[in-house]
Order: sequence, then structure tokens, then C-alpha cells
Amino acid sequence: MKRALLLLIASCAWSQSGIEVPSVGLIVDPSGSLRAVQGIAGSFLLGPAVATGVLSAECSEQLCLAKTDSKILSATGQVDAPPGPAVFGLDRDTAVIFFPQSQTFARWHDDTLELLDWTVDDDVLSIRTGDDKVEIALRRDWARETNGPVLLLKEGVLFATADELVLRRPDASDMRFELTGAESVSAMGPHYAAIRAGAVTFVLRLDRGHEQLFLLPGNAP
Amino acid sequence: MKCVVILALLLPFAARAQIALYVMNGSTPTPAGTALDLGRVAAGDTVSVRLRVKNNGTSVANISRFSADGIGFTLDRPSLPFPIAPGSAQDVLLSFRATTPAVYSANVQVNSQINNVSVIAVVTVVNGPSLTVFPVCTGSDGPPPAIDFGRVQAGQLRLCNFYLQNTSAQPMPIATFQVTGAAFRLSSGPKAPFIIAPGDSTAFVIDFTPGTVGSYSGTLAIETRTFLLSGSAFDSPLPKPLLEFDSGPMQSAQQRRLSMRLPTAAPATASGFVNLAFVPDTTLVTDDPAVVFLATGTRTLPFSIAQGSTQILISGQASAMFQTGTSSGRIRFTVTGISTDGDPTTSLTIPPALLSFDSTTATRRSGNLDIQVIGFDNTYAAGAMVFTFFDTSGQALQPGAILADFTQAFRAFFTKTQAGSAFQVRVSFPVTGDTSGIAGVEMKLSNSAGTTTTQLTFK
Repeated sequence: MKRALLLLIASCAWSQSGIEVPSVGLIVDPSGSLRAVQGIAGSFLLGPAVATGVLSAECSEQLCLAKTDSKILSATGQVDAPPGPAVFGLDRDTAVIFFPQSQTFARWHDDTLELLDWTVDDDVLSIRTGDDKVEIALRRDWARETNGPVLLLKEGVLFATADELVLRRPDASDMRFELTGAESVSAMGPHYAAIRAGAVTFVLRLDRGHEQLFLLPGNAP
Repeated sequence: MKCVVILALLLPFAARAQIALYVMNGSTPTPAGTALDLGRVAAGDTVSVRLRVKNNGTSVANISRFSADGIGFTLDRPSLPFPIAPGSAQDVLLSFRATTPAVYSANVQVNSQINNVSVIAVVTVVNGPSLTVFPVCTGSDGPPPAIDFGRVQAGQLRLCNFYLQNTSAQPMPIATFQVTGAAFRLSSGPKAPFIIAPGDSTAFVIDFTPGTVGSYSGTLAIETRTFLLSGSAFDSPLPKPLLEFDSGPMQSAQQRRLSMRLPTAAPATASGFVNLAFVPDTTLVTDDPAVVFLATGTRTLPFSIAQGSTQILISGQASAMFQTGTSSGRIRFTVTGISTDGDPTTSLTIPPALLSFDSTTATRRSGNLDIQVIGFDNTYAAGAMVFTFFDTSGQALQPGAILADFTQAFRAFFTKTQAGSAFQVRVSFPVTGDTSGIAGVEMKLSNSAGTTTTQLTFK
């Protein structure tokens, strides 16, 4: 009897969940607009701008944060923040944030910002948080690999050299994608990373076994 | 009293000058004087000059006579009588044509109630060279004599052959022999000055090479004769462009590459647009917005090709990427903005396919088993689902296969969103009891192309 189960018919639950257009994540387009990306791998739809003047943005499965020059925006509100862009390390519904312009760290939760007395003497490239740990990728740590952007992932790391995008898994296996001129790499969501190269935005699917580089539709008027 | 006499003498003179005759050179009038030399004209050709009669007085002049009395002379003027208001003028065209060499003259006379004007017009008719125009050009004796080079593709050369003959019994000296006008060029023939012996002839060729679309004019001057040259250039049709795609079967949810080339070199530089359109097989949606060129997220891109090249650049690149969307149907590529030798329209068929899963997850919650599917149904006929749960030993759990039909929900979703067939659906199964023994679920989802089966393990 311990294993006896009562499975209700699925249609009872149906109305509670429904069907949605799949969300891929958020990107900051070349004009600084924050835009939602919907669809599936290989068939993306770029949504309208939901915020402008955005300098940095990052999303995890549960949280999306965007940085304007003076504020951090979330789905639930906004909070004043040091000027300039930001490097995000998202962990569930909180985040550790570095502000390069003021060289300060802060912890974000529930649209509040608590400054941390952490200091670094190098460029902060990426932050990974989780399991009560914070990992910070510094420029000097990656100088032998690249002088381009680096993104610490939940599993592995994504970085760009002058002509390649490298997805390195925890087992040190590398997947390389031909891509020239990557300027920034950011997490669009749990399954995709956005790579900006000039006016073009690429999307890399991160799911193991499904890694593939795509182009995001442009945003010409 | 002395002053009065002088005025009286001047009055008749002023009255005679009220109506005056001028020879027009463009818009510049020159007093005709007492003699008007129309120069030399080839026998059979027409020479014309525009005359202007002007009323310089303060009262209306009624022109009662305006004539050119002489063999071969004609006057194109208003019907007589006609008035000319003070300060106004009337232009007329004096023409002459004769076929026999000689010196001809005419008395050109203008009479009004105020004063009369009389001018002697003189013209010398000489034997001119006879010009034979060979096809493809066409000649006209006019007036004015003209040669039409016809319509030529821009950037292309058209040659016209001519035959210049002295049909008279006298040697014919040719001091003037030249071509003017953009796109026209004397490419072969004698150099002036030269003499054509009686009955003799000489051949020459004029090139017409218009660089761009438009109308062209020029002149061919041969001694006493001047021929107007004309021609026009039209936009050159390109060979039918070939639209080509990267290899592999076309399917939904792909990012594919379009390239364009010409089978032969472009005869001229050209530019236009390549467009795509999508017609879905289903009637549930009218379009699939994901079918776009990736460079711009739009359905039109500019292209260009250089003269002499076969490579067509799309937005300055060798190729253009596009998405195939998530709907079965036809993607139609068209070319606009240029004329082509044939219709280059190319269609791609995106075939109906089984339901495709982009990602699937099965999770346990307290009292619930959740199954989430992200995928697409390019037939827009999804809905029928069968779920079978298994225990850790792989045995199907009661009640066995659970059937659900969500067809109407999917149809409503597709119709409402009009965003293609991509979907994210979560199906929750309320459960009582210990769920740890439920290891996995087999899921069968059907559409009009068939049934897709997948097995998920609960986390």
C-alpha cells in the first residue's frame, strides 16, 4: 500500500498550468534596450524593449536583474545602485553584484542592496554564486586563456578568444565555436548565453548534448 | 522754331522703326538689317531660321502682310491679319528647301498700318554628301535629318555603319566631319579634311555606348549637313539569379543560409532586394513571425552585384541567414528592384513533422508530479497525449496509460498567440501517497504527422 498511488487525470490539472510561448531569456540589445527572447532553439522571437538605458543584464531560472546607470531593475521593482555597469552572480532569488566603476560589491535581495566590504585589485570578469560559495573570475586568472569576456556558468565556464567561443565543462572538456570579435558574454537564462559581437548577438545553447550556436534575429526597425 | 523742325523730321523715322524684324539666335534677337544670309545648305535639306517681329511703339500694330516671296522659301506664321500689342512680339519660322544647287533669294516683307519692313533673304544650295544609314540604326531626312540608334542596354555598345557618297559631278571637299554628344563616338572613318571624288563614297562607323539608363543626343556634322543623333539606354536585365541554400533537408527550427549568384557575369552593376514570405499549411495561423532574415529580423534584405561579377552580395555579405520557423508550409523567396531574364522566385517546403521536444523535465513536488515540455508542433494539430508512469523496476503503475486530449487548448493557444507553434506546457498530476516509488513516465504526444514517444525520469 505504501506504493499505492492515486493519479488524477491530467485534465484536472491542465487548467492550472496552461500553455505558454517558451521563454529563452533576456538580452540587452546594441542600443541598450532590454528585450525578451522567446521561442526554441533555432527559432527565436525577439520581443519589444521592456526597459531602455540598460548597461548590463543577467538571468537565472528564478531571477532576472538589469543595471541602468543608477539603478538595478528586477521583475518586482528597482533599487538605487552605484553608477555604471554591473557584474552579476545570481543564486536563486539573491545575487552578488560587482560595480566596476566604483569597485564595490553588494548583495541584492528583494529589491534591496547591501554593500559588502569586499575588495579586489583586478578586473572582475564574472561571479558565480551557489552552495554558500562565491567564485570570482579575475582578469589575471584568465590571462593565459583570453583577454576577452568570461562567464562562469552553473556547470563550467564560457569564454571568448579573438576568434573562438569556448565552452569548458567541469571535466575540462572544451567545445569550441567559431566566432570572431566577441565583446561580451552574459547569461540570458538557465539554458542560453548571449554573446555580443559588434551589432550582432549570438545565442549559445548551454544544455549538455544540445550545445549549438545560433544567431539572434536583428532588431532593425 | 528750329527745334520744331528737327522734331518734325524725326517723327517719320520713329514711326518707321515701330515694327522691327529680328533674327533669333536662341533667345537672343539680332536686328535683321536689310539682308539675311542663310548660308549654304545641301540640296534636299531644309534650313530654318526663327524671325521675330516686334512692336516697339506705343500703339497696337496690325500686321497685314508677312511674306517670304521666293522659290523654296516658306513662312510659318499666324493667319493674317494679326495684331501685336505695344512692346510685344511675334515669332515666325522661315524655312528653305531646294533640290537644285543654286543661289536662292526671297523678299521677306512685314507690313502694318504703322510701318513696313523688308529684308532680302539669301541661301546657297550646294551638292551635299549622301548619307546611307545601315541597320540597326535608322535615318530620317527630317527636317532636321536625324539618326536613331534605338534602345540599347546600359553599358553595352551599339555600332552603326554609314556610307557617305558624293552623288554630284564635282569633287566634294569635306572640311567638317565630327561627332558630338556623350556616348557617341566616331570610331572609324576618314579624318577631315578630305575630298570625296564625284560618284565616290567612304564608309565610317559611330559607336553608341550609354553608361547608364536614359536618353542621349548628339550631332553628326558633315560639311553643310548636320544630323541629330539620338538613342536611349534601358536597365539591363540580369541573367536569372540563382538562389541557393546550404546543404541538408529543410526542416522547422533551423537557421539556414541563402546565397545568390548569377549563372553568367552581370552586364551592369545592379542592386535590388531579396524578400521572403511564408505560407503555412495550417489555417490556424496566417503566418509564422519567426521566419525572418536574421541580420535584421525582417523579411527583406538589399543585395548588389558589380558589373562583370557573378557573386551577389546580400547586405554586403556573401550569404544571409534566415530562420525556418516552427510551421510546416512554404517559404517563398522573391527578388525585386531589378529586371531579370526569367523569374528567380524560389520556394522551400518545410514538411510536416512529428512533435519536436526542445527540452523535457519531470519533477516531483509534494502531492504532484510535474511534467514540463518545451517544443513545437509544426502541424498545429497537437493535443492527444498518453502518459504511463513506471516504478523503479520499470513496471507500469496503475491505472496504466492515462489519456488526455488537449487539442482544443492547443488550438486556442496557437490561434491566440499567432507566434508559431513553439510551446511550453506543464502537466501536473496530483498524487497521494509516497511518490518516491515513481521513477519515470513514458509520454506519447501526437499530431497529424504521427506520435512522438519519450521517456522521462523524475528528479
